[in-house]
Amino acid sequence: MRPDQAPAVPNAGDDRTVLQKRVDRRRALGILLGGVAVGAQAMTACSPVAPMTDEARETRLLAWREYIKGNYRSMTDAERAETIARLERLAKVTRGADVKIQSTRAQPGVMFGYAFNISKCKGFRNCVEACINENNLDRRAGTQYIRIFEMEDGVIDLDEADATFQHEVPADGHFYMGTQCFQCADPPCVKVCPVGATWQEPDGITVIDYDWCIGCRYCMAACPYWARRFNWSAPDVPVAELNPNQHYLGNRARKMGVVEKCTFCIHRTRQGRLPACAEACPTGARVFGNLLDPSSEIRWVLANKKVFRLKEDLKTEPRFWYFTD
Amino acid sequence: MTRRRACAAALSLGLVWAVFACRQADRLPPNDRAVVAPRADTTAPAPGSLTMLPAAPVTGWLGPGERPFEVTLRTGDPVSALARRFGTITLRTSLRAHTPDLGQYPCTSCHLGRRMVLADERVADAHQNITPIHPAQTGAACATCHAPDNVELLALKSGDRATLDHAYRLCAQCHFSQAEAWAGGGHGKRLDGWQGRRVVMGCGDCHDPHTPTLEPRIPFRAPQLQRPRGDAP
Repeated sequence: MRPDQAPAVPNAGDDRTVLQKRVDRRRALGILLGGVAVGAQAMTACSPVAPMTDEARETRLLAWREYIKGNYRSMTDAERAETIARLERLAKVTRGADVKIQSTRAQPGVMFGYAFNISKCKGFRNCVEACINENNLDRRAGTQYIRIFEMEDGVIDLDEADATFQHEVPADGHFYMGTQCFQCADPPCVKVCPVGATWQEPDGITVIDYDWCIGCRYCMAACPYWARRFNWSAPDVPVAELNPNQHYLGNRARKMGVVEKCTFCIHRTRQGRLPACAEACPTGARVFGNLLDPSSEIRWVLANKKVFRLKEDLKTEPRFWYFTD
Repeated sequence: MTRRRACAAALSLGLVWAVFACRQADRLPPNDRAVVAPRADTTAPAPGSLTMLPAAPVTGWLGPGERPFEVTLRTGDPVSALARRFGTITLRTSLRAHTPDLGQYPCTSCHLGRRMVLADERVADAHQNITPIHPAQTGAACATCHAPDNVELLALKSGDRATLDHAYRLCAQCHFSQAEAWAGGGHGKRLDGWQGRRVVMGCGDCHDPHTPTLEPRIPFRAPQLQRPRGDAP
């Protein structure tokens, strides 16, 4: 309801007002419960049994405000700035980490695409290492977004492929094929999300609002490429190894019970940089660029090389092509 | 009566709060207060870093969309921005990264004013850091690529000379399909970003010209797969 449509008497027939101030349901609930919480905390603070430090109180308050915030897509710029300030402060207070969280939007006229040269990849997994460090992946659970499959020459058969090879590479008579999130143009994972916690951005990156995800894992079941990962426990990243350059929709701290996945390094690529995997590749097997720019390298590859996509018959339209020399 | 009702309401609301607070506390990351400075972000862009990277316009080739592009230079700081940027990666960045290891670089420390000996046991003795697989496979001699009177220049079939930075002009004489893909973006590596200035690595940044194949090695650790049972991939 717009302000000019407001009824003359504030409380007449409108249950969405608290203390004469127009608010939405979520905020009203937040104010009510928050008030109770503050009262209860005040009582605890006065009692000699459980004294509470200022830090703990601040953490509680920040966590509470984080808990009642909305979906990232429905937030105004001001609300986004507020939640980012809270998240940065929480990282500082709870972990002593100075992180910088961006909310950079998609650049107009940009649609990201990726190409992977299966003639060039030698299975060194430098991309995997770079991805773990760049995206603050759970060190304890050993989460990895990228899988490199080793296959015998001549046949692409992922059922028989080995993604857990650990020997000197490249092995004779074998080739290597990497998979990660393909940022499909028609993503089944987005369709099945019951709460709208995952969606496709205008530059083609499918992202997740980790604070909106309820952890039902429908998206993981829907993805035909097994590109998503679930946090069975709170991700464990030592502060010394934390990448402080973060994006709200990308590599910021995840929680227990939420799904995460590759975002083409959204915090880097929206600033014109390459994804960490493409930058780390020692063989030049990874090509990344803007599909809408006819003078980009990805367009050259699509125009001049024999390309294919994985499970193309499913019509998920991945924006990730494989090619050979 | 009203007081009792108010008490009950306050208690139930308190209970609701307690449940929420507990749940929220569970969702917070583990509270490790390690007093360690966060990792220095060595991969951060340092805006404009690409403009600091020594690069020269490529001659004879156009990039995708018929646009000119640039190739990295190995002049200046031996451990250049490039070597630092790829610090965690074992790249055969030839002269640039390995200049401190190359006792015989620059070549003019021996070859100044002397012509190359074409075939002699002294050649191998003097160049023990070179494994001449490529010349052995192709039957090439030193002077097939190096200019006889100045080893740090490359002699092209056309009679032109090229500096080591523009080695692609020499390599492309045989490896034309690779050179075409390199110019287009299907071979080699672009540095720093997908946007803006296009600076690519030269042939010698990945391939040791005397032993061009990448050395086999043990890969980074394998994933501990939390994969769906009996279902691949």
